[in-house]
Formats: sequence, structure tokens, C-alpha cells
Amino acid sequence: MGIMASLLSFGVTGVNGYQVHVEVFGTESMPGIEIIGLPDASVKESKDRVNAAIINSGKQMNPRRITVNLAPADTKKEGPCFDLPIAVGMMIADGILIPDPPTDLKSVALFGELSLDGSVQPINGALPMVISAKENGISTVILPDKNASEVSCIQDIRILPVSHLRQVIAWFEGKMELAEQKQVSFEALKNEAVPVVDMAQIKGQKGARRAVEVAAAGGHNMLMIGVPGSGKTMLARCIPGILPPMTFEESLETTRIHSICGKLQAGKGLMVNRPFCAPHHNASVASLIGGGQDAKPGEVSLAHNGVLFLDELPEFSRSALEALRQPLEDGIVSVARVRRQAQYQSSFMLVAAMNPCPCGFYGSNRRTCRCTPPEIRRYLDRVSGPLLDRIDLQIEVDSVPINEINDSEPSESSAVVAARVRKAREIQLKRYEGTGKYCNAQLTNAEVKQFCTPDAEGTALLNAAVDSLHLSMRAYQRILKVARTIADLAGEETISSAHIAEAVQYRELDQKYWR
Amino acid sequence: MNPVSQHGYAYDAWLASACMPASAVRKLLDYYGSSEACHEAVCRNDDGLKELISQRFFQLLYSTGTKETLEKLQKVMDRHGIRSLVFTDPGFPSALHEIHDPPAILFLQGNKECLRDRSLAIVGSRAASYTGQKAAGRLAEDLGRHGITVISGLACGIDAAAHRGCLDGKGLTIAVVGNGLDRVYPADNRGLHDDILKNGGLIISEYAPGEKALGWHFPVRNRIIVGLSRALILMEARIRSGSMTSVNHALEQGKDVFVYPGDPASDCFEGNHQLLREGGLYFTSANDILEDLHWLDNPSAVRQNSDCVQGYKPSTPEEKTLMNALKPGALSFEQLIACTGLNPSVLMSTLTILQIRGVIEALPGKQYQIKH
Repeated sequence: MGIMASLLSFGVTGVNGYQVHVEVFGTESMPGIEIIGLPDASVKESKDRVNAAIINSGKQMNPRRITVNLAPADTKKEGPCFDLPIAVGMMIADGILIPDPPTDLKSVALFGELSLDGSVQPINGALPMVISAKENGISTVILPDKNASEVSCIQDIRILPVSHLRQVIAWFEGKMELAEQKQVSFEALKNEAVPVVDMAQIKGQKGARRAVEVAAAGGHNMLMIGVPGSGKTMLARCIPGILPPMTFEESLETTRIHSICGKLQAGKGLMVNRPFCAPHHNASVASLIGGGQDAKPGEVSLAHNGVLFLDELPEFSRSALEALRQPLEDGIVSVARVRRQAQYQSSFMLVAAMNPCPCGFYGSNRRTCRCTPPEIRRYLDRVSGPLLDRIDLQIEVDSVPINEINDSEPSESSAVVAARVRKAREIQLKRYEGTGKYCNAQLTNAEVKQFCTPDAEGTALLNAAVDSLHLSMRAYQRILKVARTIADLAGEETISSAHIAEAVQYRELDQKYWR
Repeated sequence: MNPVSQHGYAYDAWLASACMPASAVRKLLDYYGSSEACHEAVCRNDDGLKELISQRFFQLLYSTGTKETLEKLQKVMDRHGIRSLVFTDPGFPSALHEIHDPPAILFLQGNKECLRDRSLAIVGSRAASYTGQKAAGRLAEDLGRHGITVISGLACGIDAAAHRGCLDGKGLTIAVVGNGLDRVYPADNRGLHDDILKNGGLIISEYAPGEKALGWHFPVRNRIIVGLSRALILMEARIRSGSMTSVNHALEQGKDVFVYPGDPASDCFEGNHQLLREGGLYFTSANDILEDLHWLDNPSAVRQNSDCVQGYKPSTPEEKTLMNALKPGALSFEQLIACTGLNPSVLMSTLTILQIRGVIEALPGKQYQIKH
């Protein structure tokens, strides 16, 4: 007769956790350890880690045949997160660990990686696992202490962070209580949010600052064209700091994705700063959109609820740029691979930057551009029409150096701009209540007609602009949306001709470059 | 009936396709009278040929002088509507007889009426600045409106702007190209090429159909551009550039050279300023050129500079401030904010309204200027 132990743990598929029963059975037979239930290489290797960790925690296993089953048996298990439950299960099945008082193992879940010396190492995906544990009615979770802060905002579940297997053994034997992780409210975390780059650091560039403010206020995608060194990257980096603060739900969504990618900062709780992802322009389609054998999330999902910044836009491969169209349209991306399919949220604000020509100095009066017209056209053509179609604001960043402008007054700080943006967003939230939309950028053409109709003077001006500046029908819709945002920033209900006139300036590239 | 002998264009193309020096072709034609006669002489290996052309060219002409080649050339020329003119023909542009080394055979496509006395060449850089192209277009438009034929080289940049401007002014324009007329180089200018033909313009080349656009063709064809015109207008050139070969041709042929005074701060115009120092003729508008050439018989046809600005009265204080700030020249958005003290969103609206009214224009690099 053998002894059977059954523990609960969690794995991750996509951004969701799922419950895994770790069943361990020990018999008097040929000594050995067998792990079944579709384990991948890292799970199979866990038997060696577990063995060493048990010995280094002061226990000695008896020579037995041990079978570990990870149920459900038809789902592929991966990652080292099952080390901890396997170790505890093996000791129970071996009879060297007797839970005292007999703990109700059905209400405890545990996961964590073990190192050979018995210490518990952090794992990826702790947040979705704990959320799933809570949904499955589990009351206590034992997890690595380095993962504790990311789950500290989850309420109504007991979190017991551990740093060594010895602590877990002592807790099961009833010899020691584990310190419970303190709950941290999201509101408290929010106060720690600081903009990465403050707008006060940007001197001059008043036109571009205004455009950034409008883009943030309406959630509009934005393209900046300018000579090298004109401050495009700096402006983009300011945007997360002036967007309205993340709500708890938004933060949870974003942190989940960062958690399964192992991109969370150690010791920090839920993310309160909106993410800013700036992939290099040689990024592959899979790294942008998500992919790989395990259908991992890509940069578009890491930027969920934040900013995806593509510097040197035309240098990105055509296929990578085209692949952005679905996430831009739907705010969600489906990654399908042979072994796994997953859907990741990817509702981000796209901010792109590019030079006006290959050499970068077209239109600059500092240096002469050395590109021929066909070269410039080929360069611009790398950005396809359908992608441009999804970018509401296109601005040119002024190339005049600040020392020539003689501007001594200090620039506004991010906090001041953010306050105006928040006000405009509140107006939008109220207007679109019940439609599932929350900002002007999300409006469909039909909704543009409903919400963005300017007054008579504004309509006349827009028609005149379309005629005399040769704007396309696509630009027409974009101008109306952006004008709506400008009116919201001004706190006005009707879109007037001044708002339209300003919005036209954010389509100037249509006139100059993509005609 | 032999389709080749019906009209001798194919023989001209055959003779030109050997790419012999124009002087050698002229000698051949002088001796035998026509390209068809030359063909006959080559076929029977006439003794006189040894005196006139080298063995290499004889071999080349002999091997390409087959009936199939000639029929092929004839077909290509018929398809593209290409005709040829030999320098002995009465219709050959007389202006070209007066230059050193005139072309022996010219191939034409389009309206021959364009070849007339009142024609001017506009040349300049291919990688031209925005202001240079604008100025070239405007000048060509005024010249075209005044009935002057504008001659240029169908290249990118200034050439294209000049042709386009002349077409806008409902004028006739001639493009002298450096390749066979069955192809368009650069391919980007195909639209312009077709528009020139559609609007009664003319395309000229001294190269036979099928000939590619080789680098050395371009400085050579420049002598024809200059030769066909009464004077040369240089819009934009660096000191070492192809446009300067045109200037040298003009000086050799004793033609006037008008030089556009571009922005001295930009090195795009360094060639212009050097020429102005050396005695190039200064001009700012079509009016100046026509006056200097005594062609100003109908002054009203020439648009006055900046007439649209004079006609516009600013309707708000912001517009007035903005226009005053822009009067000295183009300014960038940030400079405008500094000059006018307007708030960015007000400045943007004002700019849009003035742009719609056609008073100012936006330049690349977020610069604005009053439209001329």
C-alpha cells in the first residue's frame, strides 16, 4: 500500500490561470520519480531540483517509487511553478511530512520555483494564478515572497509569502505561523505614480506640446515627423504621464500581462504608471503582436492601457506594421500557434515618430537634405495608407533649436496638463456612458456624425479646408474627431470653427507629404 | 511594298543607334545625302566609307543593318509616334545649326509647332529645395501664360517643376531627354511626360529608340536644351553640378544666362550666387526676363508678384499680427509663437484660416510663408 497526497496549484494559459491538481503517490517499489500529465522539460527537471531542495531543508526521502500526476492530464504544463507543490506532495507521500493539525489541503494552493538549496524563487504569472485561485474558492495561497507585492491588491484571500522550503514544512507541521502579506489598497499605490518624463523638461515646442495634449485628451493615435534631434522621443515619453491615471480594472489587466511575461518590477505592486513600450525598429511580427511556441503576448499587449511608441516608423518591416492593424482596430489580438491559442488585450495609444526623408533633413534650414524626390517618396510609402488611416493626429515637429527662440518662461509641468486632460476625459466618459466607449478616438464613422457635428460656421470652414487644402474624405472624419477633443478640452459642447481650424493643422502632413 | 522604304525614319534610327559622334554622322549624311543611301553604302561596303567612319562603327552598322532590325525600329517608332529630323531637312530647327557640334539626327514626339523663336530654357538641380521648385513652377507658369515655350530636361526637381508650371500656365513646353523616346526616364515623370504630349508639347532626343538613359547622355543633351532657347534661366545649382554644364554651353553659344537669386543662407543656391557675382543676369520675376529680352508686348498677361496678398485684408487682429510677422520671410511655428505671442491653439486656427484663404502656405519643416 502506498500513501497518496493531493495538493492544489495553478498554471497559466494566455492571461488566465487554471487550477492544477498535483497528485503524488508513493509505493514500496523500484526507487524513482516519474512526473506525468504532459509536463514540459522544465517541469520534468523539477524532480532533481525538488530532491536537492528537500535534503537542504533538513528532510531525507526514503527510497520509494514516486509518481507525480498533474491533472488535468490533457493540458500541457510548463514552467517551474509546480516545484513547491511537488516537493510538499512528495514529502507527504513519503510519510516524512505529516500535516498537523491535518490541514484541509483543498483550501490551500501553492506554487513557486525551488532552487537546489531549498530557497523559493519567484515565478511568472503569479497575479493571474492568484486571481484564478480566488475564483476557485481557495482561501490560502502560499507563493514566493518576491511575487507577494504584485498580488497584494487582491482582497479576500490569504497570501502567505515564503522564501524557503523549510518555512513551508514548518507551517504544514504546525510548528510555525507564516506572516500574512499586508493588503495594499490601489488608492495608496496610485499616489506613488510619477511621470517618467515631466513635460516641464521640454523647452519650446509649444505646437507639439499642444498636439500631445490633444492626443492624450482624446486617446488619439499620433504621428510625429521631424528632423533628428527635434525632441520626438522626449515628447512621446511624456504621454503616459499626462494620460488619466489607470483605474483598478485597467491596472489589473495590464499587470496580468506583464506578470505572465515576468516583466514586473520586483517589490512593486500593481502597475500604476501607464506602460510605455518602445520596441526597436527591427522588431519581428511575433515580438510585436505576440507569438512563439507558447503564444506569448507581444509589445502591443504589454502596452495595453498605455503607449506603444514606434520610433523610425518607416524602418519597421512592412509585415510588422500591417500586423498592427487588427490590434489598433479591435483593442484585442488573437495569437494562434499550433500548441496554443490565446487572446490578449491590446488597447493602446499608438505614438509613432519618423524623419521626413531618409537623410532626415528635408525641410530643415539647418542642413540641406540630400535625398532625391523618389527616395523621399519611397521612404514615405513604407507607411501604408491603412495604417495612416488609423492615426488621427499627424504633426510636424518644429526643427528650430530652442536657443534661437529666446524662450525664457518655464514650461508647464505634466501635472497641469494632466489635470486638463482628465477634465476632458470626464466629459467624454459622461457623453459615451452606456456605449462602452470612453474616448473620442474610439468613435465609429456613424458616431462621428452623431457626436461631432460642428456648427454652421465650422462646417463651412471644414468644407473650405477640404477644397483648398486638398484633404481626403478620410482626413475629414479625423478632423471632426480631433475637433471634438479640442472642444472638450475647452469645455465647450458645440464644435466651433476655431476648433475645426486647429484640428486641420493636425492633418498638415496629408497636404505636404502624402498627397 | 517594303514598309521600311516607305518613310525613311527607320534608317535614321538605325544610323543613330550606333551612337557615333554627331560630327561623324553629319559627314556620312553630307556624303551620301540620306540615311537610306548610307544604309545602301554600308550593305555593299562602299569604298568611301573607310574615309568617313572607323572599322568598329562600320561593323556595328553592318550587323544592325538587317531587314528585321529596321522593321523592328519602324514598328517601335510607329507605336510611339516618333518621327525623325535630319540636320539637312528644311524643318530642322535653325537655332541648332548655329551651335558647335549640332546633333545630326533628332527624334521628336508630339507637336513640332513648339519649336519657335520665343523659347527659354529653365534648368536646375534635381534634388532641389522646396522654394526653388516653387519659384521655378511659378516662373514657368508666367512664361507659359505669356506664350513663351519653356524648354527643360524632364528630370526630377527643377525640370519637372518648370514643365509642370508651364502646363499650368497653358503654355507649350519642350522636354529634351537623354534616352530613346520609346521609354520615359525617370519613370516617376511618366505622368508629366504624358501631360506634356497631351497638352501640345514636344519631347526631343538625339538618341535612337531603344537607347537607355546613360549618365554621359545628360551633359551632352544639355547643349540642345540651350541651343533651342533664346536664353538660359538657372533656378538652383550647387557649384559643381550638371546645371553648370548648361551654363557653360550657354556661354559658349553666346546666350544670356538669367540667374535666380535664391536664399544666400542655403547652400542649394551657392552656384547661383557665384554666377551672379560673375555677371549673371539678375531677375526676380518673369516680367524682368521679358523686359530684358524686349518681349514685353503684352504686360497685362504677366501676373504681378504677390497680387493675392495685396488683395487680402486681415479680418481679425490675430491675422494682422501673423501677417506682419511673416512679411520679412518664412518663419517656423515656434518662431511665430515667439514673434506674435499668440497661444498655440489660436495660432493654429489662424494659420488654417489664412491657408484656406490662400494667403499663406505651409512649407515642410513646419514653416509658413506668405504666398507669392
